[in-house]
Amino acid sequence: MIELKDLTKAYGNYSAVQRLNLTIGKGEIFGFIGPNGAGKTTTIKMMGGVMAPTEGSVTIAGIDMQAQPQEAKRRIGFIPDRPFLYEKLTGLEFLRFTADIYGVSERRFPDKAAATLAMFSLTDWSNELIESYSHGMKQRLIMAAALLHEPQVLIVDEPMVGLDPLAIIMVKNLFRQLASQGVAIFMSTHTLKVAEDICDRIGILNRGRLIASGTTDDLRREANVSNADLEMVFLNLTGHSA
Amino acid sequence: MAHRLIHEVRLLLRPRTLPLLRRRRSRSARGGSGRLIVLGVVGMLFWGGLFGISWRVLRYFKGIEDIGDLLAYKLLSMILVVSFALLLFSGILTSLARLFLSRDLLLVHSLPVADHRIFIARWIDATADSSWMVIVFTLPVFLAYGLVFGAGTAYYAGTLLALLLLAVIASALSAVVVMIGVMIVPATRMRSVVFLMGVLLFVVLYLAIRLMRPEQLVDPEVFDSVLVYISSLQAPAAPFLPSTWASDSIQAALAGRMAASFFHLSLSASFAMLVFCLAVITAEAIYFKGFSRAQTAAATAVRRHGCIERIFRFLPGPVRAFTVKEIKTFLRDQTQWTQLFLIAALLVIYIYNFDVLPLEKSPIRTVYLQNVFAFLNMGLALFVLTAVAARFAFPAVSLEKEAFWLVKSSPLSIRNFLLIKFFIYYLPLLVLTETLIVGTNLLLKVTPFMMALSTVTVFFLVPGIVAMGIGLGAAYPDFKAENPAQTASSFGGLVFMITCAVYITVVILLQAGPVYRLFMADLHGKPLPAIVWFWVVAAFGVAFTLSILAVVLPLRFGEKRLSRMPL
Repeated sequence: MIELKDLTKAYGNYSAVQRLNLTIGKGEIFGFIGPNGAGKTTTIKMMGGVMAPTEGSVTIAGIDMQAQPQEAKRRIGFIPDRPFLYEKLTGLEFLRFTADIYGVSERRFPDKAAATLAMFSLTDWSNELIESYSHGMKQRLIMAAALLHEPQVLIVDEPMVGLDPLAIIMVKNLFRQLASQGVAIFMSTHTLKVAEDICDRIGILNRGRLIASGTTDDLRREANVSNADLEMVFLNLTGHSA
Repeated sequence: MAHRLIHEVRLLLRPRTLPLLRRRRSRSARGGSGRLIVLGVVGMLFWGGLFGISWRVLRYFKGIEDIGDLLAYKLLSMILVVSFALLLFSGILTSLARLFLSRDLLLVHSLPVADHRIFIARWIDATADSSWMVIVFTLPVFLAYGLVFGAGTAYYAGTLLALLLLAVIASALSAVVVMIGVMIVPATRMRSVVFLMGVLLFVVLYLAIRLMRPEQLVDPEVFDSVLVYISSLQAPAAPFLPSTWASDSIQAALAGRMAASFFHLSLSASFAMLVFCLAVITAEAIYFKGFSRAQTAAATAVRRHGCIERIFRFLPGPVRAFTVKEIKTFLRDQTQWTQLFLIAALLVIYIYNFDVLPLEKSPIRTVYLQNVFAFLNMGLALFVLTAVAARFAFPAVSLEKEAFWLVKSSPLSIRNFLLIKFFIYYLPLLVLTETLIVGTNLLLKVTPFMMALSTVTVFFLVPGIVAMGIGLGAAYPDFKAENPAQTASSFGGLVFMITCAVYITVVILLQAGPVYRLFMADLHGKPLPAIVWFWVVAAFGVAFTLSILAVVLPLRFGEKRLSRMPL
């Protein structure tokens, strides 16, 4: 469902992402972890089509992002790490805006919007301007908007930042449910516990390179730390000590 | 104690001063010196223009016996009153931002520094920000005064000091007003209130001045009333107004009365000290309370009408999405829709000016003059359109602000996004310009030929100007700008204004010759020779081609740059 081939991003002489190769299948949840500045957000931006790679390609549901960006984007639900939105619209108006852009039908919109708002506990706030929302509420609204058009691929940068514990549990369950329906989820996170809990596979990015990839057990084997948690594995593989 | 205060204030100002130095370094490193040169040249031209006009006016006044100096002094006092008003208005908006709304305030207030010291640092920052432009752009006027009156070095030093003191007084007064105001009205609302009041005040003042018809002052038939007016010039200005002290000090220095000049400067200086101390005392008492209040913005519920959605239901999804979003955002942002008052006033004043043109008093044949005016009016109306487009169409892309990722990640191409923006602004701006043209042509009673020519020409030029606004706005976006005016005054805004001016001038010049021939032939009922017809067709053909290129090229340029721009 997602294929990254030799994906590279260079800023002058500095390579933020170097020859990244990855394939994420239908219904798979892939966690992307790595230290600050490792290139996670850059990778996510290239996957979402908001940044052009220097080399390599991104394929979403068989569609090349560079050749047919609009078609590829239509299949993606993109959730960035910082919830910048149109502050002068209400939550419901923002959902309508997203629905119009992604071609959600007029007939289906009211029910879909009501259900998504309820799922993210935003029903009571739906007619208030986004400028009065908290960080967490904005993050929830972005998630609601990203799911409205029933994407085949979900690309999420730091999904749990700003969310309360209840919302974190809800999002974890939601991701599992979406994956069971065949949605491929690619998420970057610093919360290793979240990655450990819900991801089928985890990739570790360090200085722009994918240094390890696989299930938690695969990573433990690679790091030579049996029975250690992901935190220990991460520190070992990235060459840091606790 | 004082040493510690100065040290802490300097530390607090460092985040503002360091980036200024660094920006200069990085700009030159990135080859941004060309941009600085363009800005510098335009700034110098503007500065030089102001100096030239002031010089000519003051030389003219000097030549008028008895009342020449009186007029020059009156003008000086008016300039200072206006400057003081501008400093106050700009001071209030800047103080509000620096003291209560800036994003870094949370960090600053978490530091172990006394409230009054934070205030002093922020106030210095606000004073510099709110006053540098007023001071820099009034200096050529005062330079002209010094040269025309043959003033000595002391005049220049004294004038600079008087202006600086005026800026300090205005800024300190503004800070006190803002600190008290925030205790009554929430900070986020106060900006809108101040802005709306400012716009209304400007509109009322401008209309009042314009409707007084100052052009009658040069009409000999009303000379008696001018004499009455001159006698009123001798009336003393308000003695307790800081601008009066500055004016008196500068006047005295011009006349070589240095002791009197020093006395008025001392008045300004002592009042500046007093009002600064008052501001610090007020800050110690209420600044933190106000800042605390400013963080608790009330939630704003919006009534659901859905009128706008219903009106645009016929549009395709993405077009409807952006149209509805654009209109709602515009209507809910007070700093945006209040500008409509300005445009309405501009429209009324513009058309009114043509109504009062004393064409019948001119020695040139009225029908000829009417149509010359109508032709030149096309250019003028298009320049007005350029100014309006600089404020609305040019910042249209930048107004997406940091939410631009929504556009980039959506299945809408940048080309379609720009086309949607283009049409959103094209229709209202076309209506505005055609209203100006048809309204003024009707008042001028022009020939049907001229009416058709000007409405058609404008119809073809408006898309180019709007496309340049959208395209160049996309090529030079500023997603971090706090308001559209800031975007319009950026480097890209300047490029837009210059490109539009060149485009309008070229088209008007291309049409001038053929239109004159056509008009005269029409007036005298004579046929045109074939070579002139060829000239007419060629000129209009080139103008038409230019109009198409003016739409296509800027939009493509904007699309290219915006697509490559990293988020």
